[in-house]
Amino acid sequence: MEQLVFDLVAPEPQAFRTFVAGRNTEAVAALERAATGALPETGIVVWGTPGVGKSHLLAAVADAARRAGRTVLACASPADLTSTAPDAGALLTVDDIDTADAAAQARLFTLYNALRESGGTLVVAASAPPARVPVRDDVRTRLAWGLVYEILPLADDEKPAALAAYARSRGFSLSDDVIVYLLAHGRRDMRTLVATLAALDRRSLARKRPVTVPLLREWLQRSIDDPAQP
Amino acid sequence: MSASTPTPAAWTACLSVFERELTPQQFATWIRPLAVEPGEGSLRLRAPNRFVLQWVKDRFGTRIATLAREAAGAPLAIEYALAEPAGATAASIDAPASPFPPPIDDERAPEAPEAAPREPARPAAFLPRRIEPTSLNGTFTFASFVTGKANQLARAAGLQVAEHPTSYNPLFVYGGVGLGKTHLIQAIGHDILKREPSAKIRYIHAETYVSDVVRAYQHKAFDEFKRYYRSLDLLLIDDIQFFGGKSRTQEEFFYLFNTLIEGHKQVVITCDTYPKEIAGIEERLISRFGWGLTVALEPPELEMRVAILLAKAQQSRVRLDEQVAFFVAKHIRSNVRELEGALKRIVAYANFHAQEITLTVAKEALRDLLAVQNRQISVENIQKTVADYYKIRPSEMHSKKRSRAIARPRQVAMALAKELTQLSLPEIGSNFGGRDHTTVLHACRQIAKLRETLPDLNHDVNFLLQVLRS
Repeated sequence: MEQLVFDLVAPEPQAFRTFVAGRNTEAVAALERAATGALPETGIVVWGTPGVGKSHLLAAVADAARRAGRTVLACASPADLTSTAPDAGALLTVDDIDTADAAAQARLFTLYNALRESGGTLVVAASAPPARVPVRDDVRTRLAWGLVYEILPLADDEKPAALAAYARSRGFSLSDDVIVYLLAHGRRDMRTLVATLAALDRRSLARKRPVTVPLLREWLQRSIDDPAQP
Repeated sequence: MSASTPTPAAWTACLSVFERELTPQQFATWIRPLAVEPGEGSLRLRAPNRFVLQWVKDRFGTRIATLAREAAGAPLAIEYALAEPAGATAASIDAPASPFPPPIDDERAPEAPEAAPREPARPAAFLPRRIEPTSLNGTFTFASFVTGKANQLARAAGLQVAEHPTSYNPLFVYGGVGLGKTHLIQAIGHDILKREPSAKIRYIHAETYVSDVVRAYQHKAFDEFKRYYRSLDLLLIDDIQFFGGKSRTQEEFFYLFNTLIEGHKQVVITCDTYPKEIAGIEERLISRFGWGLTVALEPPELEMRVAILLAKAQQSRVRLDEQVAFFVAKHIRSNVRELEGALKRIVAYANFHAQEITLTVAKEALRDLLAVQNRQISVENIQKTVADYYKIRPSEMHSKKRSRAIARPRQVAMALAKELTQLSLPEIGSNFGGRDHTTVLHACRQIAKLRETLPDLNHDVNFLLQVLRS
């Protein structure tokens, strides 16, 4: 009989302090300054392959900007954009900018110009650099007007430290052999790795067993047999 | 041209040649407004304004001298001067030398313009509150507008309109994205406001105008809407292509346009293409857009891109080596915004790593950007894009056919292949049905020459360049 897990673990806060910067220190520094308004730039684009942490960075910027007392509008998708004019000096984040339809692009265009006029900030995430984002030219070139950073995935040798830090933040310890096994047998993008650890943690609580290689092996096997299980 | 002045035979000869060589619009804009005075062994040409004067001298000076010499049988000195104002005291606004015919052709002529209210410009209730009365951006002035071959005509036209409103009405500025359309027309606004602080000026993006029409509908505030817009002294409307397919907006704008022009109020329009190419716009509006002067903003050439970078660096108090500016300008070619973005990236990189801006630093900072910019533009891609644009089959790029409808696009494609790829001329030739490298060279020269004289072809090439580079 499995122990039911009361999922009281707070979801991982997506803040700068929980982001392992790796080769992205310059981008992270720029975003931290943009959040507080210390960077005199209207637009910042972060782009990169799925799972490199773009959404995490967007959430971190929004979080830091709120702490700095700024009005923040966070859009998980361009479809969430409204035509309401932002407050002066507001910060707007838009994820998955590649999916913007014609109406969203028109709103983004107007919002960008309004933010530029009022000293606001726009931070967007894209899967490709502005030159290849499928939006209309006047929007695309405005995105390219500001600072553009490619978010690079963590190198394999940076991942153990990041995973150990994540485990510590959830209150369990992760031995080196578990990390080695995980990196050798699972998908190696951080999104999958972190999701695996979270699932492993729940399983360890349910089974009242520590997080070890056998538990991991068992879980990976089970998730292959039954991909629907968490 | 004054009827009482006998036109010297030499000038008559020039006129008939120019009428054949130039488009009707070019002829009407540059040549017909010139007045001529005979002199001893000279031809004195008087231009209606400095803008025309400069342009005729620069662009047609040599041709005029040649034609006049041929006609007179001996060299004639050509003198250029400004025409005397019609009345000694005539202020430009009272006596607009408008080159456009009065708009009288429509049955549904608008009502007489209402008397302009004298209260200061104030956004009407249907306008969103955030919009300031003029909506001009303080940094978009003529002083900060970097000029080069690609935009000097447009800038000169803008200055002319700023100094003498309605001398060209409307002024229609077209060009691709990020080439300075908004900057230029807002500079006109600033300049007029400086001379005439009480002038009612409004800059508006076409999309915002469309929303204003919708809002006026919703709030049943059309009277207020009309009163506000018709009371303007200067209307700057940006990106008019967004009116495409919006018939109610076009109708409102049609009446507004007529009212403003009849009231001798200046209208300045920008668009991403020239009037007859705008999609989904009524014919009556398109023809009106051509009443005044249509000028193009072209992509900046290398030297101008360098100048822009140096100017921007100076504005941000950054020391930028010319060598670095040349490196960036060589690689980022499509528009000014991307050029500025690249410079910002370099400055941010250098600041973060506490390094001087050197060529090495610039290369490192732009590594990912250049990887994207330099991604291979293939000859096949160029051929396909050009063929699509001219609506011919891609296979015609390799064919032996020499009819102009096919040969011209093929030459354009060859010229673009030389510009956009690193391939050798023989390699380009072999991609076009095994042609010789001299054929490619000839095509490149031919297109370069034709771009000088055929505005439509020049527009095509600029457009294709931007499409292929983005």
